[in-house]
Amino acid sequence: MGITSKVVSKLEELPPASSIAVNVNVNTYFDVLRALVDVFATRHDLYVFYISSTMPSKSIENLFEILGIDSSRVFFVDTISHLMRSTTELSDRFLYIESPTMLENIILKVEYLTRKYRDKKSIVILDSVNSLSIYNGTKILSEFLHIFVTSLRTWESYMVIVAMKEQNTPEIEAMLNLVCDEIYNATGGEE
Amino acid sequence: MVDGSRERCKTGIAGMDSILDGGIPRGNTVLITGSCGTGKTTLSLEFLVHGAIMGERSMYISVTEVPEKLLENMIDYEFFDKKLIDEKKLIFVDLQEIYVKLGLEKLEFTLEDINILVEQIVKMVKELGVERLVIDSITSICYRLTSKEEIREFILHLGKELSELGCTTLLVSELLPSAAGYSQYGVEEAIADGIILLGNLERRGDLLRTLQVIKMRGTTHSRAKYVMDLTSIGILIAPLLKGGSVEVT
Repeated sequence: MGITSKVVSKLEELPPASSIAVNVNVNTYFDVLRALVDVFATRHDLYVFYISSTMPSKSIENLFEILGIDSSRVFFVDTISHLMRSTTELSDRFLYIESPTMLENIILKVEYLTRKYRDKKSIVILDSVNSLSIYNGTKILSEFLHIFVTSLRTWESYMVIVAMKEQNTPEIEAMLNLVCDEIYNATGGEE
Repeated sequence: MVDGSRERCKTGIAGMDSILDGGIPRGNTVLITGSCGTGKTTLSLEFLVHGAIMGERSMYISVTEVPEKLLENMIDYEFFDKKLIDEKKLIFVDLQEIYVKLGLEKLEFTLEDINILVEQIVKMVKELGVERLVIDSITSICYRLTSKEEIREFILHLGKELSELGCTTLLVSELLPSAAGYSQYGVEEAIADGIILLGNLERRGDLLRTLQVIKMRGTTHSRAKYVMDLTSIGILIAPLLKGGSVEVT
């Protein structure tokens, strides 16, 4: 079974409103995104609220297109484009936050999407906890994840936190253990 | 009504009624205070629109902006329906027109002028059956009052009359960013039943909009600071994360 199928199977084992951290590496990153955005969200007819803090949302959308991933159900909460002065588009599909330090605004933008697009349930993808940790201390990041994951439970959304395995510090691992229901290794080795 | 407590006027703003343990106690006069660009007018308008949607006649008395301009901004709100205005559930009044009608086009008001103005506002509230009122801004009216005693008399008189009518009132108060206290003259905050402070908080060079209920008579309420976002579906509120922010002065 490939990484994409394994990640989808893992998510399907979980009840709705679960939170899971998925450890990836450079070889499995796109397979995991395909599993989340394309296969799982399509199969369960979910909106995808994608929090991008690693790459600008427009770049991610372009990559999805190249990889043949359908991104029509994806709404981006982009924390990085303003900082990098990347091209922006004003629409509900692309919501921008001035900086990855404005963690509360991530919660508020996702709440906005959840309230506005309530005809379907959603999966929220945070990509990635490691890039957020560049701009935020562990303490405030833990606080943010705790509040965010708890809020998403009440909104009955799935939460997937993407973590780059090789960049995980012991503090990040402890934080993910604390806030997530499951930690899943999608690094291509022993899962 | 919450058991054993005063009837609440639900703001309808997501998260706000939880902070206030059900809403603003009906009949309270509340100061909405903050420096420019903190969301005072937006919050006040949303309070009125939700009231009108719930069937409560709501009135906005504008001192500084013409109603047409305010209406243009409201069209962006997804919860706003122009029918509320056509059906007179939501009423906009330009205070300048009232000044002209009452012969109060002067730079300074006497105590007698203040009483005339209060009586006119109360008359409109009574005749139209207004249950929610916003005066934006009370600071602009207070500019014409010559002493703290007059400001005190004006707000006390107005608050008492409106409270007796069961009208829940928001008084928008403009605050200088460097000001100490919660109002420009230091009198308004002591007389109002409630104070909702809107502000800016800096985190590593970025500004977050914040909201904090400083006081609200007649209800137990959260006194924590929250972060606020102004969206097309209305104001959204999230808890402020505790680490790493400083107040903007």
